[in-house]
Amino acid sequence: MIQVENVSKRYGQRIAVDKLTFTVNQGEILGFLGPNGAGKSTTMNIITGYLSATEGSVKVDGHDILEEPHEVKQRIGYMPELPPLYPDMTVQDYLGFAAEIKGVTRAARAKAVDRAMEMLQLADVRGRLVKNLSKGYKQRVGVAQALVANPPVLILDEPTIGLDPQQIIETRALIRSLGREHTVVLSSHILPEIAAVCDRVLIINRGRIVASDTTANLSRGLSGESRLALRVAGPESEVLERLRSVANVHKVQSLGSREAGTVDVTVEAPPAHDIRRPIFEALAKAGYPILSMRSQDLTLEEIFLNLITRETEED
Amino acid sequence: MFAVFKRELRAYFSSPIGYVVIGMFLFMSGIFFAASNLLGASPEYNGLLSTMAFIFLFLVPILTMRLLTEETRQHTDQMLITSPLSVTAIVVGKYLAAVAVYLITLLVTVLYPAMMSFFALLGLEWWKILGGYIGLFLLGASFIAVGLFFSSLTESQIVAAVATYTALLLMWIIDALTSMVPTGWLYGLGLVVIAAAALALIVWLSTRSIPATVATAVLLGAAIAVVAVLKQFLYEGLVAKVMAWFSLLKRYEDFNLGILGLSPVVYYLSFSAAFVFLTVRMIERKRWM
Repeated sequence: MIQVENVSKRYGQRIAVDKLTFTVNQGEILGFLGPNGAGKSTTMNIITGYLSATEGSVKVDGHDILEEPHEVKQRIGYMPELPPLYPDMTVQDYLGFAAEIKGVTRAARAKAVDRAMEMLQLADVRGRLVKNLSKGYKQRVGVAQALVANPPVLILDEPTIGLDPQQIIETRALIRSLGREHTVVLSSHILPEIAAVCDRVLIINRGRIVASDTTANLSRGLSGESRLALRVAGPESEVLERLRSVANVHKVQSLGSREAGTVDVTVEAPPAHDIRRPIFEALAKAGYPILSMRSQDLTLEEIFLNLITRETEED
Repeated sequence: MFAVFKRELRAYFSSPIGYVVIGMFLFMSGIFFAASNLLGASPEYNGLLSTMAFIFLFLVPILTMRLLTEETRQHTDQMLITSPLSVTAIVVGKYLAAVAVYLITLLVTVLYPAMMSFFALLGLEWWKILGGYIGLFLLGASFIAVGLFFSSLTESQIVAAVATYTALLLMWIIDALTSMVPTGWLYGLGLVVIAAAALALIVWLSTRSIPATVATAVLLGAAIAVVAVLKQFLYEGLVAKVMAWFSLLKRYEDFNLGILGLSPVVYYLSFSAAFVFLTVRMIERKRWM
């Protein structure tokens, strides 16, 4: 649905986006993840035609943004980083205006506005002036504006910023349900959000893609090892020795004792081998019961920091 | 385009700006009307129309300063530009909304001659008044185009307003200035050379290609030199001639006498169109920066 090829954006000497290439498939929810200033918003501004890339091409549904801007813009609903609101309009009038400029016919307009207001639960503020709304409501009006014309592609720049936890959960559910019919690209620096909503993640740092994969794959691939955390009842040195003798175990590390008569250990092994059963058998044979065993794959947060710091070290 | 027009027109009246501009205009022109036509018992109305043009000059910057600056500040330009509307449709919609506010104001002032008609024993010269109104409308529409352009250059309303004031006042007094500038052919040549250099600079900035820039500079330089040798008289008084292009007021004199000529109408319309076009270019250029 969206094809971004070799897109770069330079401001004088500063490179904001550096040769980005990726595609987003129909019906996919893609997450942009990156620290502030990584080039997420710039990339989104380029895809939507607000900015022009210095190099490279962007195609939406086969139409080039520079050659057929009208075709592309008709297919995209965009919610920029800061919601584009007219403070002196009521919510209903504002959404009506948004629908009108996006080419919704007069006959369908009222219905489109009602639908958008219902999806974002704005019906009770429909008659209020935008400037008098709270931050969370303003944010939702911004999202409503993006989807009022029901475009096939939605680009949402930090859609949940400024919302309270309840609204965040609702908005995430909304985005996930939109993902069934729409192609969605959203950016965030809140990692659990990306993990909860997106099919695929693109991690961007300093204008470059540092990783692109499904959330599950990223987590597995990056650690390079699968890690287990154990709590075993038994003397520390004995337990460590038993664990080291299990086949395929790379590294055993003691974390000390947090409960009387037990020891906490982490065990690492290559991801191809499932070492849970051999560990159980080895410790059971020695008579040291396992009180808990947890898989410790990296969280998205750790992957993220890992990638970003690794990038910085390489430079 | 119509959507933008409607929204903009409503914005004028959901904020104080529309009322302030219309109110101030009617208040000031009312004072002049009372002084010259009512108390002075004069049936000559077109003198008041030129005064109105001067009053409006002071109100234009207030009318136009927020047109595009506000969009940038509120980030609504992102919504407009990423919508299927063309930049031209957006800019023209906004321009027409400001012109509509002006037109509404002018229509209210038609009450003045209507009032006079009850007392004018010999009747009023309605055709002359109509001609004057058409001229005043076109002149004001040109002012608004200048204001629109300056609001696209900056994010600050104050800067846009001050720049518009300066430009309009300059255009107002430009007739007086033209009599002061030197008329020698060397000055004309200097102006043309500066213009050619500016054009070459624009070519350089937009293409970044040395051959294209050099070619432009050489071609223009050669043309200037040829004209300087063969038709030197063309450069005489050129500075004044160029300045006269921007004299909005000179074209207004005919209307004031009740003469409706084609060329001033075309002049005002193309003047407005040029500034609207420049505004569109300015906004499109921002995408590449």
